[in-house]
Amino acid sequence: MSVTKKTGGKAFEILQNLPRITLANLRPEPGSKQLRRGRGQHGGNRSGRGHKGERQRGNRPRLGFVGGSTPFYLAIPKYTYNEGHSRRPQYQPLTLKRLQYLIDLGRLDTTQPIDLTQLVNARGVTVQPLKRDYGVQLVDEGSDIFAAKINIEVQRASEGAIAAIERNGGVITTSYYDPISLGILIKPVPFFLRGQPIPRRMLPGEDMVPYYSDAENRGYLADLDKIQQARIALALKYGYALPNISKDELYHMLSMRKDVRQIFFGLAPGWLVNMHEKKILKPTDEKLLKYYNS
Amino acid sequence: MASSVWLRRAAVLSRALNWISTPKPVLSCISNNGLVFQTASYNPKPLRLSLREPYIPDKESESTPEWQKTARYDRKLYGRYGSASGIDPASLWPTPEELDKIIAEENEWYPTLEVMRQNIAAREKEETEKRLAKEKLITANMAKMPKMIADWRREKREAKVKLKEEKARRSKLLAEARERFGYNVDPRSPKFLEMVAEIEKEEKKKKKLLKRRQREEQATVLVTPPSASS
Repeated sequence: MSVTKKTGGKAFEILQNLPRITLANLRPEPGSKQLRRGRGQHGGNRSGRGHKGERQRGNRPRLGFVGGSTPFYLAIPKYTYNEGHSRRPQYQPLTLKRLQYLIDLGRLDTTQPIDLTQLVNARGVTVQPLKRDYGVQLVDEGSDIFAAKINIEVQRASEGAIAAIERNGGVITTSYYDPISLGILIKPVPFFLRGQPIPRRMLPGEDMVPYYSDAENRGYLADLDKIQQARIALALKYGYALPNISKDELYHMLSMRKDVRQIFFGLAPGWLVNMHEKKILKPTDEKLLKYYNS
Repeated sequence: MASSVWLRRAAVLSRALNWISTPKPVLSCISNNGLVFQTASYNPKPLRLSLREPYIPDKESESTPEWQKTARYDRKLYGRYGSASGIDPASLWPTPEELDKIIAEENEWYPTLEVMRQNIAAREKEETEKRLAKEKLITANMAKMPKMIADWRREKREAKVKLKEEKARRSKLLAEARERFGYNVDPRSPKFLEMVAEIEKEEKKKKKLLKRRQREEQATVLVTPPSASS
């Protein structure tokens, strides 16, 4: 901090460099209440929700439901692209532009590996495992302005996004989380308050194994040598010089990788985290250890 | 407009690059030039727990709800209050019997990676074999295709020629019958059929004669050269 003679210079300088106040960085005053037009307010009228029915009660039927008759997607089975639409895994999109925005605002810490916990805590994405969300997909929108060196773990990634991350000397991994592990990963604190040992992460189903075993997708089940080859091949394809990570000062961070069965960085399956006492309990029973380490 | 956007973008880029190239961690709160980096850390909801007076339900009491006497609730109590809850931490892990059950279930329902890879490889192999067999069949049949097309064309042409000839012959016969009888003859009438048979007989005779003559001619041709050479 430069020393200034003016009174209040320091505060003024800080104020000058602070971001402009917008709706995005305002928050309610402590103790204030969110106003909602209650059911009994103003003489118990419709509370701005119109008259009767699903609109008023907010229980609109699911997509594709046509009021009880055989839905179109079943009546005309010609349109097979609707097959299994209600059971398909969903991946929330995360653009490189937004990722850069989160990093620029300091909402994501690039000195640590970024996984779904960091993304959710930074309010970068919203993941709802109960709505068949299986994680996030990294989209290459904004790949031209992306300029951060990160170690990121996502569930799906497009080729352009992989290229943009690796061009900047970063590392990307795609990995699978079963819905239970995903719920734990996106909300660790409520899970730790449940007093349960961290479970093992389940393997992907047979339909997803090829994706995550493919080095071109930087899958977590792929061979590391093959991933290195794929990195070089992608650099050739997109025409950039691949930075050498092994000589990087952040090499330790960039080379961090979760185990196939691991959910959190630094926490093994079977461990129990107690938030209140700031303690980690580890099992000692051999049978338990064998199960959790298998 | 566009240039200003580009400039701004370039500025952002250069700033981001500067951040990365700084040897110090990015998180340094206030750097030398007075620029403030904000690091918005995770802002969790406050935990509404009174950790000073933890609520530990009395298991013996009648008034305690049933759900507060379960093992699940015990875990929650430990998760909230730690050892102050009075729960034995060893009870938080599955017992040997439960673990056996879990392992049995996993063995039944969750195949290992090797098994899944084998299944995938087997399925892919089967699919490729099926595809290759089909491709082989298609190439074999396609090789036969030009000959088949030529045959079909020839047959068509021959049928057409034959039909034309038949038509010409019929009209000729009808004309002949007309000449012979002086009026248009019904082609189904016995008179006409008789005439046709007669004509055919004559034609056969002519053919025979023609053949004989040809044979004789050939014989003379075959006989004459040696006499000419001698």
